[in-house]
Amino acid sequence: MKLVTPQTTPINGQSIRIEGISKTFSSHGGTMLAVDDVALSVRPGEFLAIVGPSGCGKSTLLQIIAGLIPPTSGRVFLGDKDVTAQPAHMVYLFQQYSKSLLPWMNVEENVMFSFTHREQLSKSAARDRCHEYLQMVGLTAFHSYFPWQLSGGMQQRVAIARALAAEPHALLLDEPFSSVDALTRLDLHALMLDLWTQKRFTAVLVTHDVDEAVFLADRVAVLSHRPGRIVDIVDAGMPRPRLPVTTHQDPRFIAVRNQLLARLLTKPDAADVPAV
Amino acid sequence: MAMVLPNHASATGGGKPTRPGAVAPAAKRGLVAQILDTRASGILLVIALLLLWEATARFGWVQSQNWPPFSAVMVALYRNILSGELLAVIGQTLWVTLRGYLLGCGLGIVIGFAIAMWRMARLTLEPTIDIMRTIPTTAVIPPLIFVFGLGDPLKIFAVAFAVVFPMALSTASGAGAIDPIYTQVARTFGLPRSYVLRRVYFPAALPFIMAGLRTSLGLALIVTVVSEMIAGNSGIGFYLFQTQYAMRVTDMYAAIILLTIVAYLINRLFLTWEGRVIHWARTREAT
Ligand SMILES: Nc1ncnc2c1ncn2[C@@H]1O[C@H](COP(=O)(O)OP(=O)(O)OP(=O)(O)O)[C@@H](O)[C@H]1O
Ligand SMILES: [Mg+2]
Repeated sequence: MKLVTPQTTPINGQSIRIEGISKTFSSHGGTMLAVDDVALSVRPGEFLAIVGPSGCGKSTLLQIIAGLIPPTSGRVFLGDKDVTAQPAHMVYLFQQYSKSLLPWMNVEENVMFSFTHREQLSKSAARDRCHEYLQMVGLTAFHSYFPWQLSGGMQQRVAIARALAAEPHALLLDEPFSSVDALTRLDLHALMLDLWTQKRFTAVLVTHDVDEAVFLADRVAVLSHRPGRIVDIVDAGMPRPRLPVTTHQDPRFIAVRNQLLARLLTKPDAADVPAV
Repeated sequence: MAMVLPNHASATGGGKPTRPGAVAPAAKRGLVAQILDTRASGILLVIALLLLWEATARFGWVQSQNWPPFSAVMVALYRNILSGELLAVIGQTLWVTLRGYLLGCGLGIVIGFAIAMWRMARLTLEPTIDIMRTIPTTAVIPPLIFVFGLGDPLKIFAVAFAVVFPMALSTASGAGAIDPIYTQVARTFGLPRSYVLRRVYFPAALPFIMAGLRTSLGLALIVTVVSEMIAGNSGIGFYLFQTQYAMRVTDMYAAIILLTIVAYLINRLFLTWEGRVIHWARTREAT
């Protein structure tokens, strides 16, 4: 999408380890198991995707990793640190980008508010950092615009710049590309990979778009129907850099995509029976 | 107001949308209908009413000692402003209004946020507020005279009493209606609580706060004037009673006109300020 700026410094992602995460919601007097004993390991700087049918607990799992909601049981580690009780420096990129930007702040303020409270930066240093990330998403010229003046795709790029400007050890993406048009989505995929290549943060992407998962990720984890449980982990393994046109025709891409689709389209009752 | 007329064609706010097909029927409409369909019609009505006032007094349509012509009132207004009498009186009123307004609104905003953010504050304060806000402010003035005596503190308290509860309630509903995604955004970036309060909750509640401030402004002025009438020794409410007792009706009407003009201007100024403060609370369609 754009040139990789060589002077940019990597964030250096940390590993994420999830042990025996379960989540039970209580509703209308009854209880409902949303996530069932999920264990998962994400390597430092890895791009992992989680796919699964709607309602299987993907968002719940990701919010638990982010520390936005507590698990019923199990633990989450970032690096060596147990972050289950004490949220660490991970940033959650919301699906509802248009609502997640603060409408009373312009683009620059939206980006800066993610990190200025955390680090004692001078005004000009903060602005430099903000503009570094705005440049990476190609929105420098729009720094003084307010969210309502931007298109949906632009708003999502601001949200991405804001998330990365906080320089988190891990970026958690909850279907961040699902509500933009198909072309913008391809554009944002390329942008995300470009940023990831430069910054080397650890990324966990939740999606129900199998193509998106395989195109972006190193590995793809498959969740079963509710209660969500990991039933498969597949190496995507196409070479990088991945490019919108060629990668989608890569035999490896097509094979992995078909394998995952077949896995996901299995009937709910049969989901837990290992395919022999 | 002649300057308003040429604007009409390009105006988007008032009037009817200009469609190509709408031109022909419009031309066929009578002259009166065409004039009424402009922004000037509102001003024309004001002028017509003032002319009616003038005519009823001047041609003796209303037979009364207490009904001076509008022109005489304007002359008195001019004279009383120049003499400094009216300026002093309106100054006293506005000074009371301002202090009571700031006190009541400031307190109301703090209480409103406390109610919205802390369950304990809500459970403790809400019943009291629900009861207190139903008390008409005018009813508390007579007993308050025992406490404060006559003078500014009494009136300031009355104004603050009138605005604090509506202000607390609109602030609380603004801060309480905040979209949960904003609090989640604040959490994911690990923002400290005071920062979230200042940069997230406060601006999110701002449109509600501004609406509360606007209604409170009119309320504050009314309560000031009324308390000056009940317990006053200064200000425009007191002046109105004085002039009425002294049968200085022209001076009385002049004071009312001045009060109207001042209140109108304050409201216009407030609307301009409000538009600036919450300029971001717009959508694409609205522009
Ligand atoms: N706060 C909550 N209280 C009660 N039940 C909840 C809550 N949040 C989620 N659930 C339930 O947990 C299950 C999993 O929800 P979740 O949002 O994680 O699904 P998802 O996999 O992200 O689905 P989608 O792909 O549609 O976004 C759903 O059945 C949902 O109804
Ligand atoms: Mg979801």
